[in-house]
Amino acid sequence: MIRNILKKGISAKSSRDILSSKVETIRNLLGDTSVIPPNYRGSVAFTKPIPQMITDDIASALTDVCATRALSVETTAGDAGIALDRSKCILCGRCKEIAPDLIAIGNWFSPSVKRRQEMIVTSSVQGQLTEKSVEETGIELKIRLRRTLGRSLAVREVDAGSCNGCEVEITALNNPYYDIERFGIHFVASPRHADVLLVTGPASSNMEIALQRTYKATPEPKIVIAIGACACSGGLFGDTYATTGGVDKVVPVDVYVPGCPPRPQALLSGLLLAVDKLPSKSESRISEEMKK
Amino acid sequence: MSGNVNNGITKYTSIITEKFGEHVESISEANMNELHVTLKQLGNSPKICEFIYSKFHARLSTMVCSDERRVDGGGYTLRYVFSMGDDDNDVFIVVTAKVDPRNPSFPSIALQIPAAFLYEREIKDMFGLTPQGNPDMRPLILHEEWPSGVFPLRMDFDISTKIPRVHKEYQFIKVEGEGVCEIPVGPVHAGIIEPGHFRFSILGEHIVNLETRLFYTHKGVEKLAENRSLEEVLLLAERISGDESVANSTAYCQAVEKIAQSSLPKRAEQLRVVYAEMERIYNHLGTLAGISTDVGYAYGSARLNILKERMMRLNEAVTGSRLLFGVNRIGGVTVDVSDEVSRTVIDTVNDVQQDFEAIIALLRTKSSFIDRLRKTGVIPRKAAKELGIVGVAARCAGLDIDVRHDHPYAAYSEIRIDQQHDSPRNITKYRIEMQKRVGDALSRFEVRVEEIKDSMSIIGKVLRNLSEGEIYTSILQENLKPYRHALGYAESHRGETMHWLMLGEKKRITRYKVRTASFSNWPIIEQAVLNDIIPDFPLVNKSLDLSYSGNDL
Ligand code: SF4
Ligand code: SF4
Repeated sequence: MIRNILKKGISAKSSRDILSSKVETIRNLLGDTSVIPPNYRGSVAFTKPIPQMITDDIASALTDVCATRALSVETTAGDAGIALDRSKCILCGRCKEIAPDLIAIGNWFSPSVKRRQEMIVTSSVQGQLTEKSVEETGIELKIRLRRTLGRSLAVREVDAGSCNGCEVEITALNNPYYDIERFGIHFVASPRHADVLLVTGPASSNMEIALQRTYKATPEPKIVIAIGACACSGGLFGDTYATTGGVDKVVPVDVYVPGCPPRPQALLSGLLLAVDKLPSKSESRISEEMKK
Repeated sequence: MSGNVNNGITKYTSIITEKFGEHVESISEANMNELHVTLKQLGNSPKICEFIYSKFHARLSTMVCSDERRVDGGGYTLRYVFSMGDDDNDVFIVVTAKVDPRNPSFPSIALQIPAAFLYEREIKDMFGLTPQGNPDMRPLILHEEWPSGVFPLRMDFDISTKIPRVHKEYQFIKVEGEGVCEIPVGPVHAGIIEPGHFRFSILGEHIVNLETRLFYTHKGVEKLAENRSLEEVLLLAERISGDESVANSTAYCQAVEKIAQSSLPKRAEQLRVVYAEMERIYNHLGTLAGISTDVGYAYGSARLNILKERMMRLNEAVTGSRLLFGVNRIGGVTVDVSDEVSRTVIDTVNDVQQDFEAIIALLRTKSSFIDRLRKTGVIPRKAAKELGIVGVAARCAGLDIDVRHDHPYAAYSEIRIDQQHDSPRNITKYRIEMQKRVGDALSRFEVRVEEIKDSMSIIGKVLRNLSEGEIYTSILQENLKPYRHALGYAESHRGETMHWLMLGEKKRITRYKVRTASFSNWPIIEQAVLNDIIPDFPLVNKSLDLSYSGNDL
């Protein structure tokens, strides 16, 4: 089985053709979930909507085991429940180890969101990830992708104190498998050329000023995407003397991409969500015309 | 770890006792290969360190300060960790001295042992102890806006304190002369890389001086570990530098396991080796691809990146993480490999190897590629030695430093890490080869190519001879007593990563000192670029492949 996963998305493998010009790119990057192995820790979800199921013992065991405090006890209308803040979750999988019937770790990445609040899932509200929603996300993103092809997107990456794990995945977007340039997304060398800032890391204190300056140097309209648990919330590095506790403490953030690190597909879906926020080319052209 | 008497320790003990007996309060052995020499007086530390450094040809591997004011005896403690690199002595000598909190300073050893320069500045920033005699007292980790008199690693500093900025200027070294000008670069760079500032002084296009200013990604890793549980800090260890997660978590777990005096099941040790080598392969492939990009040969980099991606997918298919997060646990590993997985790993690695050799053969025929690397970014061997350089950067300059055979850990004592170390004759031959290495970007390229092949063969060998049994053991909790400490170390793809861990009350950590290979190796870049021109810098930088996060913590 593991063999099949490895083969997926890779052109029929024959070691003689590495120097040929065979296409290695994954065609359906977002719709094709079969390239993601089942043991990939992509997202945490509650399996049950019933808050009563959670005894105090389990609740405190869960909040104790979670090093980033992504899990917390939430009391709604007298019912104790458990809340999960996906922006903090580093997908270590330890919560599942201690409460396997309450928590599931899915191999599909959690969706990017536009408001950090949307990443908080409470057990009583139900935030279960089902097979269906995976499919839907894929289709929705595919449609958006098509729309996106109409304009190109210039991206500037800013490391504001990451562990470099997120950089490894962002770099991967440029490799021939993911080949993000085919969607019109390209990385530029200066914030002055950028539409989008892709920011990683908990925004360390030592990077705070540089990040503000980079933001100022980016022309309007600009979008900031916070990449990874660190950028979304401070992640494992939290809010300390050395960090600011997340990129949105320093500059306004438009899209949050959870994960630690988010896999290339998740990064792409975050970028696509960001595109929605930019005025489409025709709109901006019209407004330009009107100014004249 | 074997149960044998460590002959090296006996030897060094008697030499040190004979020479410095009167200055030594105690001399004792710990954790199989650590020789602790506790001094009566702080003032004698330079003399003894200098002796160990020059007489035993030792390398200053790390320097640890800890705030032990609450522990009996009081005060800050300095530990100078020296690594004895010769082939038959797996020994670390730890020179320990106390600093009186009423007089927060210590004698600098930086002029005798240049590798100590940065450690001393770090200790000054984080603990407020002044290294008397160190000529460079500028701030290092806490940038210029940090107010004086606030020291984050002191026990009484609360990690969540927000410190208001003060206005101060950092003084770069000024190079003056007719036609000399300065180019500031960073911290935000043009590519997808981590932040750091480089200040070039140039004459025409030639670099006459480079000063690096790092620590932009400092996020308080060591402070975060304080008072945390052992399990939580493991997650932190993995994120010291994301692409070195296995090396750093191995070093960390090892330190805990040593404190607990627990040995691991064979299979766990073997799997640690497999994952460590998988990590080395994907990262070296990435660096080679980066070199190809910086040379301007996009085709080579695209092909190598395909192989890197295949290895990362293999990582994920086996362990659930493309960056191998979560594979280590205290007492062993979390992920076992079935026979089927094991076969798939071997086959995938073989396929990648064939493709890799095809690409490398092609690159070697491109004179424009090879010429660009030759004599670029030369690391002088003498400087490498003095600055205590490790890993590929040291090996490319002819220094045979590799923790995997100097201080074997996990299952490395049974595994030859390369083809050259299997017989005395081959070792001699290898040493002669080493002497021929000139420390340029081409040597680094070649060393990485060799190491990828070695790692591939190690993975095959280990997986074919995997022992049966458990993949982890519960460590002996009763041994996790307050104030016990141990070194943990590993060879990442960048070189030696050295961790020192001290437990406190309730099995929580009081001090976790991390020194990754990047911290040791960053200073050498200032030397390596000296004969080059500005456009060479990205190539020199990439060929050294240093982590900012691993340095800045
Ligand atoms: S997987 Fe996420 S929620 Fe669960 S323990 Fe880890 S960080 Fe917390
Ligand atoms: S989110 Fe995770 S991988 Fe990304 S920078 Fe933070 S710790 Fe590293």
